[in-house]
Formats: sequence, C-alpha cells, structure tokens
Amino acid sequence: MGFNWDVIVEYLPFFWKGTLLTIALSLAGIVLGTIIGLFIGLGKMQSNRWLALPFVWYINFFRGTPLFVQILLIHFGVVPYFIGETNPIAAAIIALSLNAAAYIAEIFRAGIQSIDKGQMEASRSLGMTHVQAMRYVILPQAIKRMIPPLGNEFVVLIKESSIAAIIATPEIMYWSRAMNGQYYIVWEPYLMAAFIYLILTLSLSAVLNRIERRLTTG
Amino acid sequence: MIKVEKLKKSFGALEVLKEISITIKHKEVVVVIGPSGSGKSTFLRCLNMLETITDGSVLIEGVDITDKKTNINEIRTEVGMVFQHFNLFPHLTVLENIMLAPTKVRNTSKEAAKDKALELLKKVGLADKASIYPDSLSGGQKQRVAIARALAMEPKIMLFDEPTSALDPEMVGEVLEVMKQLAKEGMTMVIVTHEMGFAREVGDRVIFMDQGYIVEENEPVQIFDFPKHERTKSFLSKVL
Repeated sequence: MGFNWDVIVEYLPFFWKGTLLTIALSLAGIVLGTIIGLFIGLGKMQSNRWLALPFVWYINFFRGTPLFVQILLIHFGVVPYFIGETNPIAAAIIALSLNAAAYIAEIFRAGIQSIDKGQMEASRSLGMTHVQAMRYVILPQAIKRMIPPLGNEFVVLIKESSIAAIIATPEIMYWSRAMNGQYYIVWEPYLMAAFIYLILTLSLSAVLNRIERRLTTG
Repeated sequence: MIKVEKLKKSFGALEVLKEISITIKHKEVVVVIGPSGSGKSTFLRCLNMLETITDGSVLIEGVDITDKKTNINEIRTEVGMVFQHFNLFPHLTVLENIMLAPTKVRNTSKEAAKDKALELLKKVGLADKASIYPDSLSGGQKQRVAIARALAMEPKIMLFDEPTSALDPEMVGEVLEVMKQLAKEGMTMVIVTHEMGFAREVGDRVIFMDQGYIVEENEPVQIFDFPKHERTKSFLSKVL
C-alpha cells in the first residue's frame, strides 16, 4: 500500500473547509443542544407527571432512535415541510442539536438530582426561595458533576456530525467520500478524516480537562 | 409563640402524625423524645413546612403557615433549623455558609453580614475556622457552624432535629454546650434528641411521642422520674 501524498495535498483546501464546517456544526450543536437540553431537563423534572410527559417522550424518541434516521427525517421531511426546500447545513445543525439536547437533558437532571436533598432543605429552612436555592446552592455543586459527562457528550457530538455527510453537508466526511469516489482510493481519504477528527476530539478533551481541574480546585 | 392544632401528616397511606396539638411559649425549651418512627422528626419538620401538612394547622406567632396566602419563606427566616447531618454547603467556606442567607434573603450588606458571621463564629468557638471549607471540619465543628448559620438570620425560634445523632461520642458535648448557652439566652427551642441527660437539664418541658401521638408531656423531672404511661416507662427503661 503506497500512500499517495499528492492527492492529500490536492484535497487539503477541501479538508480545511470541511474541518471548519465540522467545527461550526459541533459548536452549534453544543450551544443549541445545551440550551434546549437545560429546558428539556427542567421540563422532565416537574413534579406534575402529565406536564413532564412530553419532555420524557422527547428524550425517549431522540435517545431511542438512530441519529442517522433523525437526520434523514429532518433533512427530507421536517425542513422542507416548514420552508418548502431543504438545506443540508441547517438540517444537520437541527438534527445534531435536538439529538444532543436529549442526552444533555439527562446529564442536567442526573447532576441536579445527585445533590443531597439536605442541601435544598437547609437552603429553604433559611428562607431562600426554590430559585435562590437552585442558583446559589444546588447548581454550583451540580455543574461540577456535570462537566465530565457533558465533555463526553461534546466529543460524541463532534464524531456524530460525520453522519451529516449522508445529506451532502460539505464537512470532513463529505470531502473524504468525494476523494474516495474520484480516485478509488481508501486509505488516504479515511485515514485523513480519522486524523482530523482525532485532533479535534483530543483538543476538546484537553480544554475540558482544564476546566474540570480549575473547577475542582476553585 | 407556636400553636399546633390537630396536626396530621400522612405519607401515602401511612399516617405518621395523628392529631398533634401543642402550644409552645416564648423562650420555652421543649425537648421531644420517643422511639424511632414515632413521628418526632416529622413533627419538627412540619413546624417550618419542610413537610407539607396533611391536616390541621400550625401557627407561628399567630400566623397560620398552612394558609396558602402565607409567605412561607418569610416565616422560615424566623424559624432556624439544625439538621442531623449538618447540611453545610460544601462549595462555600465556613464564613460564606453563614453569610449566604443574610445577604441573599435579607439583602444585608456584605460587610454587615461578615461582621455578624464572625461574631457568631466566636460565639460557637470557631473564630479561627472562618476561611476553610466544611470538608476539613470535624462533625462537632460542622454542627456548630450549622447552628451559627441558622442564627445568622436572627430567628425567634430554633428547631433541632437530632443534632448530635451523627456525631462521634466525644463531640456531642461541644454541640450541647452551644445549645445550652442558647437556651440560657432565652431562645425558644424545639429539640428532637436522644440525649436524655441534656433533656433533663435544659428542657422546660419534655414531650414523649409514640406512633404519631403525644403520649405524655410534662416537666423533665416528672417525665423521667415519675412517668405516668406504660409506653413512656418502657421507652425510658430501654434508654436510661
């Protein structure tokens, strides 16, 4: 197996564009997924079971069906239904965000519920409202516990954004498949893609480790 | 000061409190004793609505706390509580633990809250621990900080839910000493405890609870030396 560096060099500008798009998709997924996830998580934690039900089923659906299926449904079904035509970048961002939100909602819920209930009782016994107790006592402790699983979810998100290639979103995997199709070669495009993903996920892990360390010592 | 009328509390089908009625006077120290599962902790937790009340009423200085119109948060600032497991905030220093509620609930200035907190720490004998985190305190020290934290809101009533039950034996004394001092200063206190010696010495009145009822209430001497009910006798014979 001879490794053809020339095709790699030829495709470098495309990989560069693809990498930027992968980063953009992942960032959008992380930001939107976290916001929606917080909302869904709080919804699921309501004491009224009927009001919590839609949130429970949101999580069930997005965690219980493949992202592959979700991305196709959103690209060919949901987005055209609303705006008449489809857009692969928008569809990819929507699918990744909604999917990540389901996992992030569970991370939020687990983080908050892992805090001993005595903490809430002590806060309330001092006259704090539920919101004050959450803000000053529960969340500061819960967030520390959420960082590792959240980091995990963000890493998964970067990798899963590769599925967007199937709806022709021009990210890293899209250009790998294009290279594979043009030259009938396997190693160069896919090893290149693996290499870029590895750099992205390792960088994110390093950043998250740093945040985690700062939070635990602070 | 506290007036409880026909208080009932059920957890599902289980009735934990069955018609409790009692009046507690200003500056009175009431000690609640009884076997585990008798409902004493639940009773205490009903006095500041940490448990929702199934039926009956609880009046704190004439205000019915079971009334939906009552602002329970305001009532709670007047009723301090100390827990068996301390429930200190582990992410805050000792000083911040004590300052949190006054600054956030009462909007006391940081400086005033800090002065007050340091004064309270001195009172419970922990002035040198202000800037450390609760993790590095012993059980007895944690509980004394918890008492200082409750006192920072300047409550009119203090509730103690088995404050020494989670402590190593050699640390019980230091916590009881702080409580004795509080009683001497005229704080109205309701204390659930297994420390019979303390109940006898500090209590103005002792309440014996069993199976959700107040079986007997009287001055400590009467309860401990001349119990009237069989259940009180059999309980005391096991613990004394």
